[in-house]
Amino acid sequence: MIKRSFFTLTRPKLSYDSVEQNPKKPESINIPSNLTLLLNEPLDNTKKLLIQKGDSVEKGQKICLYSDSAEYVIAPVAGTIRVIDAYIDALGNTSTFLVIKNIQTQTSDTKAKTYDLKEDIASADRYLRNLPGAPPFKKLADNKTKINTIVITCADADLLSTTSQYIALNSMDKIKTGARILKNIIGAVKICITVPQDLNIQGEFDSIQVFRTDTTYPSNLPAMILKNHLNMILPAGKTPEDLGVCFICAEAAASIADAYETKSAGAEKIVTIIGKQGTRYRVKATIGTPLRKIFDLFSIHINDQDRIIIGGPMQGISTYSPFHPVEPGMDTVIVQDRDEIPEICDNACVNCGKCVRICPANIQANILVRYLAADQYEEAADKCDLESCIECGLCAYVCTAKIPIYQYIKLGKHELKKLRAEA
Amino acid sequence: MNNNKLTVSHAPFWHDGDSLFQMNLNIIIAALPAIIFGILQFGAPALGVIALAVSSAMIWEIISNIIARQKQTIGDLDSALIGLLFGMMLPATSPWWMVIIGTLVAVVVGKMIFGGTGANPFNPALVGMAFLMLSWPVLFDFDAAYVSYDVNYTALAPLAALKSMGAESISGVFATGDLIMGKQLGAIGSTFGLGLILGGIYLILRGYVRWEIPVSFIAGIIICAWAFNLSDPTKYAGPMIHLFSGYTLLGAFFLAPENSSSPVNTIPMLLYGFFAAVMIILMRNIGLYSDGTVLGILLFNLANPLIDSIRPKALGKGVNHA
Repeated sequence: MIKRSFFTLTRPKLSYDSVEQNPKKPESINIPSNLTLLLNEPLDNTKKLLIQKGDSVEKGQKICLYSDSAEYVIAPVAGTIRVIDAYIDALGNTSTFLVIKNIQTQTSDTKAKTYDLKEDIASADRYLRNLPGAPPFKKLADNKTKINTIVITCADADLLSTTSQYIALNSMDKIKTGARILKNIIGAVKICITVPQDLNIQGEFDSIQVFRTDTTYPSNLPAMILKNHLNMILPAGKTPEDLGVCFICAEAAASIADAYETKSAGAEKIVTIIGKQGTRYRVKATIGTPLRKIFDLFSIHINDQDRIIIGGPMQGISTYSPFHPVEPGMDTVIVQDRDEIPEICDNACVNCGKCVRICPANIQANILVRYLAADQYEEAADKCDLESCIECGLCAYVCTAKIPIYQYIKLGKHELKKLRAEA
Repeated sequence: MNNNKLTVSHAPFWHDGDSLFQMNLNIIIAALPAIIFGILQFGAPALGVIALAVSSAMIWEIISNIIARQKQTIGDLDSALIGLLFGMMLPATSPWWMVIIGTLVAVVVGKMIFGGTGANPFNPALVGMAFLMLSWPVLFDFDAAYVSYDVNYTALAPLAALKSMGAESISGVFATGDLIMGKQLGAIGSTFGLGLILGGIYLILRGYVRWEIPVSFIAGIIICAWAFNLSDPTKYAGPMIHLFSGYTLLGAFFLAPENSSSPVNTIPMLLYGFFAAVMIILMRNIGLYSDGTVLGILLFNLANPLIDSIRPKALGKGVNHA
């Protein structure tokens, strides 16, 4: 954890970590006997399930819950379904989890099911949503605005993570191929790629525009890339897709290239693991592997009251189970010792203004938090720019009174959405 | 299956390690040079006043929290700091009842009834001070307070002398160097200018005081006093005597930048400091009081919410090209 320095005349600077020189190959982990898959659709007793316990699945088979389901998962191994049950995520949304018993041998030689893949968005959305790196095909297929710019991010958005940088260093050719395929699929005009300033990447980029990003957090967040490199200001409450810009991480681009080459979906995700002493490990794990198995591999011991963070220290979410599976979009996992966890207080804001001075979006967080604490979400949006927040978490990081400002903001946005949906 | 009970909470999972306790402790440490000098200069009564002010302020907070059935917040040192700053503004000979009444008004009326730490619209120490100054003005006559003291420098409170005698008759009486080194009559913690400046610089470097407020405050004092001085040097004193006497430096580094009652945006901070200082010089030169620091800062505490609404536009606000 980066603490405030003794002298802080200027605001604190948090720097992105850069990938080490000549990084080692990621450790491989054997495919465990049971894999857990999360399916973003709640169970519905009134409908008839398409799958049953005991059903066998092929590697690469598309699994849907119901005949009219829009959501699916891809089986990463051949096996049989052992459990189908409800799962509640960190934000309280209900979805479903499946446990698949692995029946294939430990080597991943088992041929994956091949698909009839065409270079169009419908076909990609039909089979490739679950690729390592979680390409946002669902959003792209639904989106009403035409996407004209694709930004491939080789710069990790959150602190500590180096997964995207590692892939950029090792698979740049695949990323470029993937970018070209994406361009055809989406019909985008412009492809850009973000590369951290200090990352040494050689080679030709042809028509791909390269953005060298700053090493200070939060310059790799989409809103900041739009502002600093594309000269676009993200309007309050809009997404980059509304502006016609789509952000896709480096790993997704590389796995799209693989998928179109083999006509099947890959299932091996590269994850950066940060241990309790800040040691960094990199692992290549099959999607669905419980995190516990990975911790055992690196001898990271989990005690009661420790915290397992999926994602970075500023924007991640903490999970309640060490058996949480590896997901397609999971770049980083941090294990925080219970003695390292900073306390949070219900103090009132003392108006010291540190949050205001550090906010990259110029939000008056000191006033905003008062509205949010009083459940006045509409006022917070009208008067204090709730929707301009780019969710970097810096306000809560510097808060002297230890108020969970970022949590208030996320809750406020969630409640505001609900209020507007009801109105 | 060994399923650990994990800690689940919301991002961010890091914190810069700062806390209210740290902040208030640092402000107290920064105030110590001036206080220790005051105690050396004015003796045991000064120590007594400071100790009583700090302890009574903390006790008032405990009592208010018990009455309001709130959890105890004494641990963040906020009331200790209020008591300390309040004690620094008193003459060393203040009677005990005055200290206790002052901290009662400062902590209970100035802070607790608004909801405690962070909710006060005015600087609590100044609320207590203003109450005492208006109620018992005679106790703030520093010349009378220190009549039994035998000192080896001009035994006059500079601002009171300036008010009663005019600028011409005191010119040369108070050397700037003497004023900075604390050779003047005044409140316990306000005479040692050098100590206050060092403490203030420490706080600015540590990030506990926003530099904009003290800098614009001092600029306001100098510019306004200098303008008066230019218009009539016989009637109005130069900027140095205003800067290094009375509560000016205490106000610049400890009172005006009080978090909850001062602005946080850059332009408002500059305006707030500057105009609070201008108001102080106006009160000193034209008004009734010999030192307008207390009322000047309180007045601009009042204007804080209004001027703090001058702020930069938030990202993406009013942009509609999507």
